[in-house]
Amino acid sequence: MSSGVDVKRGGVFTARARGAYRPVMRAVCGAVALGLVGAPTAIAQQAEDAGPRVRGEQLYRSDCALCHGESGEGRPPTFPALSGNPALEDLSHVVIRIWEGQGTMPPFPDLSTEEVSAVAGYVRNAWENDFGPVSSEEAAAALAGLAEAGSRTSVWDGVFTASQAERGQTVYPGACGTCHGRRLNGAPDDPDMVSTPPLARAKFLRTWEGRSLAALFEYTRATMPENNPGSLTDEEYIDVIAHMLSVSGIPTGDDALEPDPHSLARVVIERRPQEEAEGAAGG
Amino acid sequence: MDRGRDDTSADHQSGNESQFSRRDFVRIGTVAGAGSTALLQACATRPLEPATGVEDSGWDYEADVVIAGAGCAGLTAAIRARDLGATVLVVDQNFDVGGRMLHSGSFLSLGGGDPIQLRDMKGESDPEGFVTVPPAEDPEELDDNPDLLFTDITDWSIVDRKAQSPYRYNEPELMRAWADNCPATRQFLMDNYVRFSRISGTHGGGGLSRARGALCFLMLGDRTDMKAGTVTLEDAGMADPERTSPFAPVQMFDASRAVGPNAVGNGVALSRPLEFSAREKGVEFMLHRRFEEIVREQPFSGRVVGIRARYSPRRHPETDEVMQSHWRNGNIDEQREVVNIRARKAVILASGGHAGNPEVRSMFYPAMREPAFPTSGSALLGPHGQDATALIAGLRVGANLAGMQQNLSYSTTFHISTRLGTRDAYTGMMPGHPTFGFRGSAGINVGRAGFEEFIVVNQVGKRFFNEIRLPQRPGLNRYPGDGGAPNRGLDHVPLDWRNCRKEWIREMYDYDHGLDAALALNEGSEPPHYYSGPLWAIFDQDTIERTGWELRFPYVADNGYFFQADTIERLAAKIEAGHEFQRVPLKYLAETVATWNGYVESGSDPEFEREVDGLMNPIATPPFYALSVMVVWHDSYGGLRVNGSQQVVDMQGQPIPGLYAGGEAVGGFNKHGLGKAHVHGYIAGTYAAADSAEGRA
Repeated sequence: MSSGVDVKRGGVFTARARGAYRPVMRAVCGAVALGLVGAPTAIAQQAEDAGPRVRGEQLYRSDCALCHGESGEGRPPTFPALSGNPALEDLSHVVIRIWEGQGTMPPFPDLSTEEVSAVAGYVRNAWENDFGPVSSEEAAAALAGLAEAGSRTSVWDGVFTASQAERGQTVYPGACGTCHGRRLNGAPDDPDMVSTPPLARAKFLRTWEGRSLAALFEYTRATMPENNPGSLTDEEYIDVIAHMLSVSGIPTGDDALEPDPHSLARVVIERRPQEEAEGAAGG
Repeated sequence: MDRGRDDTSADHQSGNESQFSRRDFVRIGTVAGAGSTALLQACATRPLEPATGVEDSGWDYEADVVIAGAGCAGLTAAIRARDLGATVLVVDQNFDVGGRMLHSGSFLSLGGGDPIQLRDMKGESDPEGFVTVPPAEDPEELDDNPDLLFTDITDWSIVDRKAQSPYRYNEPELMRAWADNCPATRQFLMDNYVRFSRISGTHGGGGLSRARGALCFLMLGDRTDMKAGTVTLEDAGMADPERTSPFAPVQMFDASRAVGPNAVGNGVALSRPLEFSAREKGVEFMLHRRFEEIVREQPFSGRVVGIRARYSPRRHPETDEVMQSHWRNGNIDEQREVVNIRARKAVILASGGHAGNPEVRSMFYPAMREPAFPTSGSALLGPHGQDATALIAGLRVGANLAGMQQNLSYSTTFHISTRLGTRDAYTGMMPGHPTFGFRGSAGINVGRAGFEEFIVVNQVGKRFFNEIRLPQRPGLNRYPGDGGAPNRGLDHVPLDWRNCRKEWIREMYDYDHGLDAALALNEGSEPPHYYSGPLWAIFDQDTIERTGWELRFPYVADNGYFFQADTIERLAAKIEAGHEFQRVPLKYLAETVATWNGYVESGSDPEFEREVDGLMNPIATPPFYALSVMVVWHDSYGGLRVNGSQQVVDMQGQPIPGLYAGGEAVGGFNKHGLGKAHVHGYIAGTYAAADSAEGRA
């Protein structure tokens, strides 16, 4: 299990870890705010050893609530409600869906079997739900035979190419720039439009830290552009993401990002390169 | 220091740009006390001075329809009246045509089943084939009619996220006329070279229930040609990211997603085509001329027979030469101080609102008497932009007002801009437009997220609000649930008490009153005006490292809206010495920064609870910076009362014969921007062309 990510989750933003999170940066006009839900960094380390339900709720809030809502209400029809959803009855369906993803749902191959069972158990019994617990053994059985995920990388490991970022730069102005601004800082050029979440640099990385590029890709594809979600090609979406990473100061590499949720699920968004983070943690 | 302390009138604002005497009033001979408060008692037939174009009276010029203001209402009215056979003369105080339409985003919400709604419903392209992307909205979201639109904009029950009801106070007759004339106005604009993109949502208060907002576009090409619908990269202001053009005060933006490849948009794609068409059709323009007075047969009775207008030369900020409009065919070059212009059929007032006149806007919010905060487009329009001329002149001939309290109800009337470091904080005008020198810097738009990166202090150097919440603007009107708007579903019930019951308001209320804290009295507020003074974002070098903000020309300049120093004390001294409205020392600034750094250290801001909303960063690494934070009052929703024919109505409820008004000169209509004014102009032009001393045809 990727302990490096979890260490950072617990160590960086103590103010939020105290549970002080509130979705205050909500964009108006019905905007879908990328910053709406607290980053995974909101999750406190200290509760990790607590029972599966506590751990499941932590994981739910960090990895699931962005789309499915703090109270499992979802955002139908784009993101289904989990509260009262009869599809949760099928235990193996839930477990496999979390691990492998499907449709708009990104895969979460970083989760251990225990974590999958914890979050599956949480959603099956939170709110109004009463579908029964999920043991690690049941989760392991459901996941048996599924392909092992590849190794985890960071966005700082040269995961996109310069030419890909350049292609994204040409897509960005018309598709995204009207609302997110030509500097990607969430400041629209039209002064009558309200601010939006930044799509690059420190604030953006902070918001998405700990999530995978698959989550960013699927979320973007499902919700943006706000007036016509899904209207870009998959290649355009992933190229724009490369542009966002590039503007954030993240170095390019030799291979382009592919619009494939399974490979993107292995690339984790981090605020800064691992060596810097370790240096900071040590200091 | 006494800068800006006492003179808040529009005349003061004019500075060096307007130096005129009052003697021409006297020559009319009948004015009782020629000051600005006197009621005009001019007799239209008394000789004034040698006439230049008119034989037998004191009139210097005459036309069938005389229009004050060449913006969205005036230009539309001019073309419409000309189409109907009238001769038309338009006066405007600025050096170029277009008013604020020219710097707008060109989002034009009309509706009622207008031709663009119908086009998008059918999935069709435009006749020229420029529109190649599919419609953004589903057909049912575009299925509209005037009755539905009228219901929307008179819905007493709907509230915004500040719990204010913007439509409740709208004038019903004005709303009915507007809804009925939306489709015809859309077609009229298209007939005059205006091209519309796909509709996406609705914009700024034209009703919520259907998708109504399209934007205007031109296609990038190798020549600028309104008939062909093309503009060069240079004229569009897009050849250089840090430079615009005399053609486009604000750089045009990529409109490809709403149109197709190579489409660019903003108000330039609306204003320039209309201007081109007006000139082509023979509308005449007298620029550099500020409308001042309405000439009525008797002070409070009889017909309106003309206007009086004063020379208001706008000089280039560097060369001091009188600036020239981009196109000049149809221009009348007239430099006499005052001219009297007879209107054979009617006068149309389309000279804008009062957001640029601190004394008038203080009628609704005394704190807005503060002259440190201008209206939008102060560089483009100059000191007479939005200076309440129509309202003041209308009152002098007995006009009534409407909707004055509606100024307080929408996010574009006044708000804190996220564009810092420039006085003209509404637009991002770049160098290349001749009026750039009046602002000196484009400013840097940091967005709401940028407000996490600094503290904001008032004129004595004290923080006053949670900075992250400061630039929040009240959200748009909202029906319960997610219903009632394009892309959110159309499931809603207009005129329903549940739309405004307290349970729903508690759920959706979303507004922090940071703006009001910014305008509040503080230790530097002194009688008689108790000005709240300027606002400053204070940060350090580490902030630059975090954000990548480029604090260099053209974004900032040494113009009194950006300062840098090696110590906080020195920064405070520089601001005091270098900013025109900084009337007192920022005596608490160093203490405020030290206190803040202590809060950062402890992870807790007991005053404003910043730790709840985001990260807190120290202000400790020199050099230290200050950028101006501006309150922008943009729209006027109060103004002259008009009826459904856009005739100005007097205090007795009777139309004033021969006098029409539209756009922001008019009150009683809560709707932002262009869609309101174009329809007003269309209606006013229609009726004015048919008016005469014998009454309307």
